[in-house]
Amino acid sequence: MATVVPVDDFTGEWYPGFKPEHIASPYIVDGTGPFTKEDEDKFWYLDFHWSRGLTPLAAFAWGHDGYCWGTQHAAEALPLPPGRGITSRFAGTHLYGSAIPESDPREIGARANRLGTNLPHFLQNYQQIWAAGRDELEATWTYFRGIDLTQEPTSRLPELLTQARRYHQRSMEIHFGVMYPLLVNFLGFYGACAEMGIDTNQIGKFLQGEDTKIMETDRELYKLAIKARQAGLSDVFADNEPPQLREALSRHGGSASQWLTDFDDFLQIYGYRQEATCDVGLPSWIEDNQIPLGLIKTFLLKKEDHDFEAAARNAIAEREAAIDAARTGLTKEEQAVFDAGLASNQAANFPWWQDDHNYYIDLKVMLPLRWTCQELANRVGADHKDDMLYLFWPELLDVANGKPYKGELSGLVKDRRQYFDHWQAKRSAMPKVMGTIPDAVEDPVLIEIFGLNPQAIKAVQNPDAANATTLSGVPAAKGVATGIARVLQSSDELHRLEPGSILVCESTSPNWTPAFGKIAGAVCDGGGMLSHAAIVGREYGIPTVTAVGVATLAIADGDEIEVDGTNGKVTILKKAAELAEAEAAAR
Amino acid sequence: MGTDSIVWVDEVDPAAAMAAAGSKMGRLTELHRAGVSVPQGFAVTVDAYRRHCTESGLDERIEEVISWLGTDPSDAAVEDASVKIRGLFETTPMSEALAAEITEAYEELCLRCVDVNVPTAVRSSATGEDAADASFAGIFDTYLGVSGANRVLDAVRSCWGSLFTGRALAYRLRKGISHHAMPIAVGVIELIHARASGVAFSVHPVTGKPDRIVIETSWGWGEAIVQGLVNPDHVEVGKADGRLLKYDVAHKSVVSAFDFADGRVTEIEMPAKLADRQVLDEEQVSAIAAAVKAIEEHYGYPVDVEWVISRHRRAGDPVCIVQSRPVTVTADESERTPAAYDPVALAQKFVFSGKPLPGR
Repeated sequence: MATVVPVDDFTGEWYPGFKPEHIASPYIVDGTGPFTKEDEDKFWYLDFHWSRGLTPLAAFAWGHDGYCWGTQHAAEALPLPPGRGITSRFAGTHLYGSAIPESDPREIGARANRLGTNLPHFLQNYQQIWAAGRDELEATWTYFRGIDLTQEPTSRLPELLTQARRYHQRSMEIHFGVMYPLLVNFLGFYGACAEMGIDTNQIGKFLQGEDTKIMETDRELYKLAIKARQAGLSDVFADNEPPQLREALSRHGGSASQWLTDFDDFLQIYGYRQEATCDVGLPSWIEDNQIPLGLIKTFLLKKEDHDFEAAARNAIAEREAAIDAARTGLTKEEQAVFDAGLASNQAANFPWWQDDHNYYIDLKVMLPLRWTCQELANRVGADHKDDMLYLFWPELLDVANGKPYKGELSGLVKDRRQYFDHWQAKRSAMPKVMGTIPDAVEDPVLIEIFGLNPQAIKAVQNPDAANATTLSGVPAAKGVATGIARVLQSSDELHRLEPGSILVCESTSPNWTPAFGKIAGAVCDGGGMLSHAAIVGREYGIPTVTAVGVATLAIADGDEIEVDGTNGKVTILKKAAELAEAEAAAR
Repeated sequence: MGTDSIVWVDEVDPAAAMAAAGSKMGRLTELHRAGVSVPQGFAVTVDAYRRHCTESGLDERIEEVISWLGTDPSDAAVEDASVKIRGLFETTPMSEALAAEITEAYEELCLRCVDVNVPTAVRSSATGEDAADASFAGIFDTYLGVSGANRVLDAVRSCWGSLFTGRALAYRLRKGISHHAMPIAVGVIELIHARASGVAFSVHPVTGKPDRIVIETSWGWGEAIVQGLVNPDHVEVGKADGRLLKYDVAHKSVVSAFDFADGRVTEIEMPAKLADRQVLDEEQVSAIAAAVKAIEEHYGYPVDVEWVISRHRRAGDPVCIVQSRPVTVTADESERTPAAYDPVALAQKFVFSGKPLPGR
């Protein structure tokens, strides 16, 4: 029997002043919106990518154009035979997702036939298809970079806003248009390997060891830390908190001036990067230097530098050993299938793409919309440069077209900021799943990326989960580590990680990767074998367990915990309170 | 050599072997002719059994017991009839002529093996035993380690009687088959002094995958494996290239060993030093795989065999095949290794089937 988690608590008024027409926009199968009672029939999962919550503009731009349009567009284009993509709903500011099934057997058959033509075509032409998509997006990106918004007449802002929104929407068509076939090919290979008796925990390793733009960013950031140490700036970093660092370095002068020049050069290449995927609400590293500076500050605390080259060498050696071991146990006929599948997946490498594409798409795609909103805020004399992000799309266009902002709209923005803060504080208490919960989720995408396996679904429904001291999840990256847990709600708190900390969070996104250069282990509520933390954990050699379901609930900040990434176990060794008592007694 | 009552594995015309010596012994002859190494031995023929039953008056007495049963007897009544009939076989002596012929053949076997009172395996070899109905296989008796002419004679009569075990009787009653329709021969075969033995399949016995040879093995004689008394080492070999794919060493707690006091093979506790030791080396695995592959090619269909590695075998020698029969398992279409990597078929099977991925 499926259990039902009621949605009633989240069907009341949405953002202050919200009207249904605020989110009226074409959609393919289903568009976004706040929860209604009818949604209770479906199975909803709290999406870990947006743990801060989303502002009205972010909720619409991402929740509608990205989440709904992007996935549903790609699910039609490939197509996915039994699924039509994903849709989204909001409980307060928090995004829930739900897969849209296709149940008509005739339609499923017709879609399967189309897949039979389109998937091989995609795999044969993958390099070209992805390069073409990336070039298209980079061209649009270059177009936006070439615009000096301060010089544009206000009358052009509506057009620029529309272009920026379209850029994101197009990005998501390309994003999911590449991701779905890559994922389908990978999961098919995975199934074939499993059936040939290959240890499934090894399969992720076959495709690791390929460098990505995200790892390259981490290395460059680390180099800056080493340069800072060599330039004798360690004390400046140690003595100042991230918000004051830039100013302190400027004041310091001398070697710090050259270092800041290097830092700014770094930012010009790697700094168009937000602290979450596709969230217009967040600044880039260029807009807010304290994020990269804070990361460099914590890198300097490490006694030994993270050896990126050694980690990369290990990842490659581990890959080759895993492939050899798997092939040895296969018959000649099976080896032929394995080799062809491996070659296909190495050429069109899903785990690699899953990290690399974020540099080109997810981490910067919302910036043109954000910049234009900030310019508009400036023109209308808003109190805060981010005020426009608290408007819904039609309201934003109205303001760009000359409707007065001060007054009714600015009042609403104040209320909506409060609403956002209210829901942000409730994040940890949000149900992880809602609506009609199936005994077992069947969609491998939800299982492998979101970690909605039967064990995790059971764990999140356990009323006593907060008191659990042993937790289990997906063994995502091997090894065992013990350390003090740092439970982070979002990457805004990355600076709280110390060398040797165990990162505990809902899940990581590409913007979290620099943390893997200093942590000893990672534990995530969500994710699976193919989620971000799993992929990065394997590349960095950090013991990682994903899909625990209730890690952020059961583990408290400061607990001493053990992460066993080989067996997928997490053990709370000592509670933070006990450790504090012991410390007090020792004094 | 050979008479109406006795045929030798290596001498009988293969075309007549099945009819005269039953399927188990008939197959040994076929294997021998195909160049496979099989043990020395002879069969006491179906005719000899028939003559014994007719001339001694056993037929009438068996008929009488069976007629009491009717068409739908209780299990207890069948068991009771079985005990009665087997008792009749134990107490009815062979004709002196037949006893002399078997004794003569046994002495010839001793000579061929250059041994005194050579230990033998005395095996029932029924006609139709290896028929497609797998439930029928192994239903009749086998005696391992029978040594000396008198003991061989007794074992032959016991094998005859095993045509009337409770299971066999019930089976024939259920299927409406007369016992006259499936007379029995008895094989008397040199007992290979086994260092290790086991079974081997030319396809995977569970999934039916045809691309591999599967071997199960333990120390000593194969009885403990055949009867499922020991958890054997499990070995898989690629059929195309003969490469060892996997070797899982099991904890083997029971061994079929020769009990010299009792003069037979019996199951005893495995010596601790052997229990966790790998039974076969790569050369032995290759020799077994080569034999199984040759037998499958000879027959043109998948087979399972029982094999023995003799104490005297040296590297490079063939292994000894003591039994072979067709495998009835066939590969489920979905279990077959696909001929090529087909991402669409794999996606349909693993991603869009509505089932979780295997191994998750």
